[in-house]
Amino acid sequence: MADEHQDQIYLQPIPVRIWHWLNAFGIITLTVTSAQIRFPEYITWFGSYKSAIYLHNTAGFVVAISFSLWFFYYTFVVRTMANLYVPKVEDLKSGILRQVKFYFLTYFLGWENPHHPTPDSKFNPMQKSVYLAIMFVMMPLVSLSGILLTNVDPLRGLIVMIGGLKLLAGLHILLACCLIAFIPTHVYLATLGRTPTDHIKTMWTGWEDEEEHGEGHE
Amino acid sequence: MKRNCKLNSLWFTLLIVVLFAPLSVGAMEMDDCLGCHSDVDEVGDDLFIDGDKFLTTEHADMGCVTCHESVTDEHPDDGEAVFNADCLDCHEELGGQYMATEHSENATCSDCHNPHQVHGIEAVSGPDMNQQCGQCHEATDVMDSHAEWLPQASLHIAKLPCITCHTSAENYEIVLNITQKQKKSEGLKGYRFSSYADLKEYSGEKEIHRIIDIDGDNHISLAELRTFNRNPAYSDLHLSGTMVPSKVSHDLTTLDNRFDCTFCHASGPGSMQTSFLALPIEGGSYQRMTVDEGAMLDTLYGTPNFYMTGSTRSATLNIIGLIIICCGFIMPIGHGTLRFLTRKNRQH
Repeated sequence: MADEHQDQIYLQPIPVRIWHWLNAFGIITLTVTSAQIRFPEYITWFGSYKSAIYLHNTAGFVVAISFSLWFFYYTFVVRTMANLYVPKVEDLKSGILRQVKFYFLTYFLGWENPHHPTPDSKFNPMQKSVYLAIMFVMMPLVSLSGILLTNVDPLRGLIVMIGGLKLLAGLHILLACCLIAFIPTHVYLATLGRTPTDHIKTMWTGWEDEEEHGEGHE
Repeated sequence: MKRNCKLNSLWFTLLIVVLFAPLSVGAMEMDDCLGCHSDVDEVGDDLFIDGDKFLTTEHADMGCVTCHESVTDEHPDDGEAVFNADCLDCHEELGGQYMATEHSENATCSDCHNPHQVHGIEAVSGPDMNQQCGQCHEATDVMDSHAEWLPQASLHIAKLPCITCHTSAENYEIVLNITQKQKKSEGLKGYRFSSYADLKEYSGEKEIHRIIDIDGDNHISLAELRTFNRNPAYSDLHLSGTMVPSKVSHDLTTLDNRFDCTFCHASGPGSMQTSFLALPIEGGSYQRMTVDEGAMLDTLYGTPNFYMTGSTRSATLNIIGLIIICCGFIMPIGHGTLRFLTRKNRQH
């Protein structure tokens, strides 16, 4: 085992990988089912409208539970949530700019990624900022709005307090669109490793090559 | 000559009596009937008629003896049985439809419709329509049987009259009712239908429809609806939409298309093009007011708490969402192209 991973670091522990792929599968399911729910007269991929709704709701709960487990794991088990996800002052001052410069300029010149991932610092400053917005703002809001939308009758008072069903549904849809927009960017940036499949393999096996860290991924 | 004059006066008096006597007797009979029958202590529960409710019905306009023609001036001392008219005498078409259903073996007209309180569909709120069904169909049974296949069963049952699906009526319309937040001081939560008295508190000296119908033309424009929705003074009032058949049918067949969610949950279904605002009137029934014709979905967009998945989707939101999603491809396409063009720089 030690020889096998001699030049590698264990970057993604099992709970994180399970969460990631569960999330990925759930979000893709949510995306395609939402297309039928919103445009039922054009899209009938899942047969009846009812099937699309049931599948969407189920996937939604899976993602919400998976998010809760992720939150619990990083906050209470390994306690690295703040360290991993909250940008430090240094990150905000120069880290983000440095990383943006790399992705949009020096990467094309063949320079090395200024950030080298370690288990304690998996994300570069740009990733931290993006994930902070996604994991601490968008995911909780889209999940909570989804939970409210699946329980309109019992939670109507709360929905009205928020601003009404229409506002809530609009918020849910726009947040979902933002998360959907992140998917192609996320998948693309995952191919910026030493080889296009390097980072994807890391998220499957947990191990990342220590040498030639290559470029980070978003 | 004097004798002739006296005779003429007598004939004239008789003529007056003959011509107007039935009307005066009829009018008196209504008061006489209610004099006793609106007093529950005097006639008992079975024969009690709530005068306030009865007088707002169309049946009241016809007078008591139209249906109870055997009642004499000596009633009830004459001991004669009171004749009740058959509902089908007037409601032949609806009655015929109903008699062909299995329901007719279990319930007569009056089991569902109290003839002394009944109103046309336009004067009844959605939840009130379900009361008749609820007399036989237990709420828990209804919920359980629907929950087996219907997503958000409780929401559908709460928001729709049973007859929206369980009737062969083809066309539908949306009725908007004003609801209001219940008082916490009374230990109540959620919203309930506003009564005439409730809305009078908001309208003050004006008629209650002026809360929404600002220009008083007995028609609600979209601008008026939006003004109402945004008025902070009415923050406790909300509009609640109910889908009801536009024409009542008593053929209680459930058409196949009612099991197809896209009957309602599709953009701009034909069943949702017409809308009305139902305003409570004194006596507990409702009066409908038209909302801008052919603009149902716009109306729903102007109603903050009305959203139907698939049906009331906003075209603007669709475009914004599409733009956001497309932005997600800028990075792969733009960066990917430059990556491909500069690939030689990274071959080390």
